[in-house]
Amino acid sequence: MPLIEARGLTKKFRQAVKEPGLVGSLKHFFTRQYKDKLAVDHIDLSVEAGESVAYLGPNGAGKSTTIKMLTGILVPTSGSLVVDGLVPYERRQQNARKIGVVFGQRTQLWWDIPVVESFNLARDMYEIPPRRYKENLGQFTEMLGLAEFMNIPAGKISLGQRMRADLCMALLHDPKLLYLDEPTIGLDIAVKDRIRKFIRSRVEERGTTVMLTTHDLGDIEDICKRIVIIDNGKIIHDGDLAKLKDTYARDRVIHFQLARPPESIEPICAELPACELATDGLRLSVRFDRFVFAAGEIAAAVMSHVEVVDFRIDEPEVEALIRKVYLGQLSLDSPSQPAPAVVEA
Amino acid sequence: MSHIRKYRSLARTSLEITFVYRAGFVLNMIGTVFYVVAMFYLWQTIFLGNPGSLSGFTWPEMKAYLLVAFLLNSLLTWYDEWIMSQDIREGRVAVDLARPIDFQAARFAGAMGPVPFEFCSALAVGAIVATVFGGIALPADPVHAALFLVTCALATLVKFGIVYCVSMTAFWTTGIEGIVVSRIAIQNIFSGALIPLVFFPDVLRGIAAVLPFQAMISTPALTYLGKLDGPTTLFMIGVQAFWAIGLAIAGRLMWRRAVRAVTINGG
Repeated sequence: MPLIEARGLTKKFRQAVKEPGLVGSLKHFFTRQYKDKLAVDHIDLSVEAGESVAYLGPNGAGKSTTIKMLTGILVPTSGSLVVDGLVPYERRQQNARKIGVVFGQRTQLWWDIPVVESFNLARDMYEIPPRRYKENLGQFTEMLGLAEFMNIPAGKISLGQRMRADLCMALLHDPKLLYLDEPTIGLDIAVKDRIRKFIRSRVEERGTTVMLTTHDLGDIEDICKRIVIIDNGKIIHDGDLAKLKDTYARDRVIHFQLARPPESIEPICAELPACELATDGLRLSVRFDRFVFAAGEIAAAVMSHVEVVDFRIDEPEVEALIRKVYLGQLSLDSPSQPAPAVVEA
Repeated sequence: MSHIRKYRSLARTSLEITFVYRAGFVLNMIGTVFYVVAMFYLWQTIFLGNPGSLSGFTWPEMKAYLLVAFLLNSLLTWYDEWIMSQDIREGRVAVDLARPIDFQAARFAGAMGPVPFEFCSALAVGAIVATVFGGIALPADPVHAALFLVTCALATLVKFGIVYCVSMTAFWTTGIEGIVVSRIAIQNIFSGALIPLVFFPDVLRGIAAVLPFQAMISTPALTYLGKLDGPTTLFMIGVQAFWAIGLAIAGRLMWRRAVRAVTINGG
């Protein structure tokens, strides 16, 4: 039985339609007009315990709405949803006890009181046993480097500090499930790194299931094995990150730095059919399909003809790939089934 | 029992935040003191023109009435519709919803946290005003003094109920300001905060009797002065309890409807 099981999950919002200007406002005052918007449109999603899932999509695709339904904040318009044996919006409080939530745009901390007191409140709200609390707080403080601002009100710390404190707060009660809604938004590289490392440690050590929405693809590669892409409220891709790369990012490029300009690249081309070669002075790059050639074969072929000083391989860029998906340049029609094909008997 | 603990912590935090904004609290207090003093002089003038009693109120009783009104108006001032509706409008409610707490109970804890502090401050200020002006009626007898405390507690519950229900309208309207201002205006009239209800014409008194506001000030003040006979006092306490419970239920229903029907902003 999956930890999260959604079938035909749908959320429809009613948006007020208002014409611009004073006349429009006046009209709206008397005759309200509304338009329905399907924020989430019949999605099926199942997540096994211990999985780490990146939930991606352009702005307004329905990511946050889905997360809010999963956490029990929003009531679905239709469809079924079970999270760890509970319907979140019916058993909101019970569900809340088992989950940790971080909204990147919104803090959980109390603005006016020292950070550590917010943690103490979490201890009382989640009824965390004192020993467990002390242990976790000690460990998280060290891993996230919270000591320096522990006694400062949340309103007076920096964004990076706030996010670290928020993450700590969300995990103090050892939730089974962690929802992260853009956890690294607006942060510098060092803080991002620290946060990702911390989340990874939770996944690996405690088996915490993570569901992450982000626009930062570094988050995905560091934390998640599976990616789900939603657009216009519909899931347009669900699968393994490695498989996605294999399917849609087969091309790799090796860049060689040469000792002297090659006289001709014809002989190399002849050895490497179906590869694209390009030269520019002392540089030579070869684009190849990694299922046709191994990188070693390419290197060997090049080195047998010219003297190579240095080389590097470009990894397939997930970012470029996902951008293509968003723009509709890539249709991900084949792997629309959830990756783990384990369904209850 | 551990359930109590989380709400107690929330209440304590709310009190702590009041201390953070102590300047605002003190200014608010000074403002109400000026108001009370102004009311004192106003009524003094009226009583000077009508020595003896007015609609059964003597001048010392009237002073006591005004101080009781001041005391009750000083409670639940901090955590009001503005904070709650802001939380709703700016979507901070989402954070609360993701927590294992009951929304209404959490708001109640937040509202009640500063009350003991507000009560003591108002009592201190009231004592000073009383000493300066002198000649203030004391509670009719110990029984009425005890009953007075009960009516104060119930009055606070009623006030919370009203404030909570008004806050809930923030889910449906973006302009809650107007509603809050109306609530305060209506409350000032029908609670008896400005003028004891006995001074009202029959029609207005009839309206006041069926509204919850009189439970907030009129009932405790009249109980303090022993103006009501035994059965009537108990009946009025019953009315207070009715409103306290009724408004709590109404608030719960509004909340449930709001969560079902309305989008939490910011998603």
